[in-house]
Amino acid sequence: MDFLLKNRSEFFPSAPVVYMGVEKSFLDGMLRPLPSDVVGVPVEFDFSGTIEQALKWHPRSTRLVVVTGTSPPDREFERQVREITKRFEPQLVIEHLAGLPTPQVLKRLAELDSRSVIFTPGYFEDGDGRTSTPRAAVGEMAANAAAPVYGPFNTFIGAGIVGGRMPNFEAMGREAGGEVVGLINGTAPADLKLPATMPSTLNVDWRQVRRWGIADDMPPGTIVHFRTPTFWETYHTEAIIALALFLLQSALVAGLLFERRRRRGAEVSVDHHRFQLAHASRLAMAGELTASIAHEINQPLGAILSNVSAAEIILGRGTDGLEEVRQILGDIHRDNIRASEVVNRLRALLAKHEVHHDLVDLNESLADMMTILRGEAQRRRTTLTIRPAVPAVEVYADRIQVQQILLNLTLNAMDAVSDEADHRRTIVVTAERRDNRAAITVSDHGHGISQDHLARLFDSFFSTKRTGIGLGLSIVRTLVEAHGGRVWAANAPEGGAIFQVEFPLARQSSLEMPDTA
Amino acid sequence: MNAKPLVHIVDDDASLRIALTRLLNAAGFETMAYASTGEFLLSRVETRHGCLLLDVRLPNGPSGLDLHAALREQGVDLPAVFMTGHADVPSCVNAMKAGAVDFLEKPVKAEVLLEAIGRALAGDLVRRAARNEEMRLKILLASLSQRERQVFERVVAGKLNKQIADELGIAERTVKAQRAHMMEKLDAGSTAELGRIAERFSQMRDETTAK
Repeated sequence: MDFLLKNRSEFFPSAPVVYMGVEKSFLDGMLRPLPSDVVGVPVEFDFSGTIEQALKWHPRSTRLVVVTGTSPPDREFERQVREITKRFEPQLVIEHLAGLPTPQVLKRLAELDSRSVIFTPGYFEDGDGRTSTPRAAVGEMAANAAAPVYGPFNTFIGAGIVGGRMPNFEAMGREAGGEVVGLINGTAPADLKLPATMPSTLNVDWRQVRRWGIADDMPPGTIVHFRTPTFWETYHTEAIIALALFLLQSALVAGLLFERRRRRGAEVSVDHHRFQLAHASRLAMAGELTASIAHEINQPLGAILSNVSAAEIILGRGTDGLEEVRQILGDIHRDNIRASEVVNRLRALLAKHEVHHDLVDLNESLADMMTILRGEAQRRRTTLTIRPAVPAVEVYADRIQVQQILLNLTLNAMDAVSDEADHRRTIVVTAERRDNRAAITVSDHGHGISQDHLARLFDSFFSTKRTGIGLGLSIVRTLVEAHGGRVWAANAPEGGAIFQVEFPLARQSSLEMPDTA
Repeated sequence: MNAKPLVHIVDDDASLRIALTRLLNAAGFETMAYASTGEFLLSRVETRHGCLLLDVRLPNGPSGLDLHAALREQGVDLPAVFMTGHADVPSCVNAMKAGAVDFLEKPVKAEVLLEAIGRALAGDLVRRAARNEEMRLKILLASLSQRERQVFERVVAGKLNKQIADELGIAERTVKAQRAHMMEKLDAGSTAELGRIAERFSQMRDETTAK
């Protein structure tokens, strides 16, 4: 700077000069004021601010140790520090280790207790005339000291000091750059608004802050060095995204679980209602069949009654007719079984049974249906014919519900032909195999189904009967579909309606027998 | 009269048919059992003393009521007892109107059944007796000569011998002789008895024309 000021008229005549990093005390010490076209912001090392900050962080301190050296700049620093530390005299013991040999200094620093704070600008030369850089000197001190070391220069950061208020060289550069831009744009050097000095900033070495147990809350604007960034600091965006995704996923999973639960609840409820409805429909069906069921039971009961009376008369005449009485007893037994079979079949149909899937031979179902409906067919003077499948077909189904499907469709057919002439009151129920399906066909010779009814036939509460409530076929469809099958209706070319039900076959392998028929 | 009364049983239920047969046999009747109306009609109908025991509802063909009506139409006048699985008022009324003796609800108790059968058979006997008397009268009347018949008709009409003689253009003495012949042939002891015979006969004629 000195050199430039002396020689600039020779090298750079009339070029304005912007300086930076020049200490204020240096400018203050100059005899002449700077020319007006030499501008810049002087630097002031903030000794007092550093000490104040140190005491703030170590409020229980009773001793301030100041280390200085012997070279002229060292002496200058010593002078400045002595000047500053005067105002801390009342609270603190100020101990100056000025111009001592390095070993002695280090020894003393190692002895300090925890209520001491060390401040040093470093030194270029110690009491033994050994030279070093201030940073190296500070490094030695910090390595040995038993108390935290503070210093005013940012070159010390990393050497082992806790920190200090230091000029911010980055801010300085920015300020000087601003001045250069201003000058190039033609602003007169004197018109530049310049701060008196560059403000100093608190710099700390995070490792030392940790080591000395200094509170984490740094004043605003503090520059923290060597802070090991936490995982959060390094990856917080990624972490937030990951967390958000995780939460979103969890929410989604929870939502789906809830939905599934709700759906299962709804399914259970639907199943329950279907079950109830099917049962109610069976009860209604039994109601329709009361007369023929009574007949079915009364026939064997009447036979039993007559047989018993006959036996009484025969026995009353003596022991001649014992053989006949034995026959009578056999017949009574048979009729008893016959009556109870009707009752059992009826009870099976009407009981609120648990749905139980099992192998069901459709031929057996046809035979059972015939037993239940024979009387009813007679009563209605309708010819009911069943054509079993050859060979037998089996489905995996609930026996009672298959029975219900058959009964419902057949009773429906009986209703359809009830107004027809005698020879047209015929119904044929067929079981057969169609590829990999088991089919039941119920055909009648009634009046058929009109086209606009065909589409709505299986809808709930659709009925063409005067007394129907329109649930029969809708229940049939519900039950068929619950078995993975389908049901549909059509008109036969020769007149009458054909209802068809198809179920998946149960065990296909057992049915792959060669068809010899 | 050698045979026991014959009961014709028509019921489609084999088990019940056999049981009824047993019971009626044990109770001292002869029986013939048929599974359907058709089966009954195909067999040669025995018209001797007996009755019908019919199930009202018979599958695959005419009902018991139809059978009863058809038999009466053919002049087979056996009394009928009906059995039914369920009390059906209209068919019950029809059956009684058609001359059914009884209408029994299944299952039928033996006492009730036997009582009904007994009543039917008694009815049959009465009917047969009446029919026999009728036949006898018909034969007796047929044995009269034309002139005797003319005299009979006028006597039962309450006319005097003189009037009859005038009407027929014959002597009163001739009328007297023919009247004596007629009364002998008809086995009538008095004019009053002759009147009863005439009355019965006219009833028969009325019944025939009513049919």
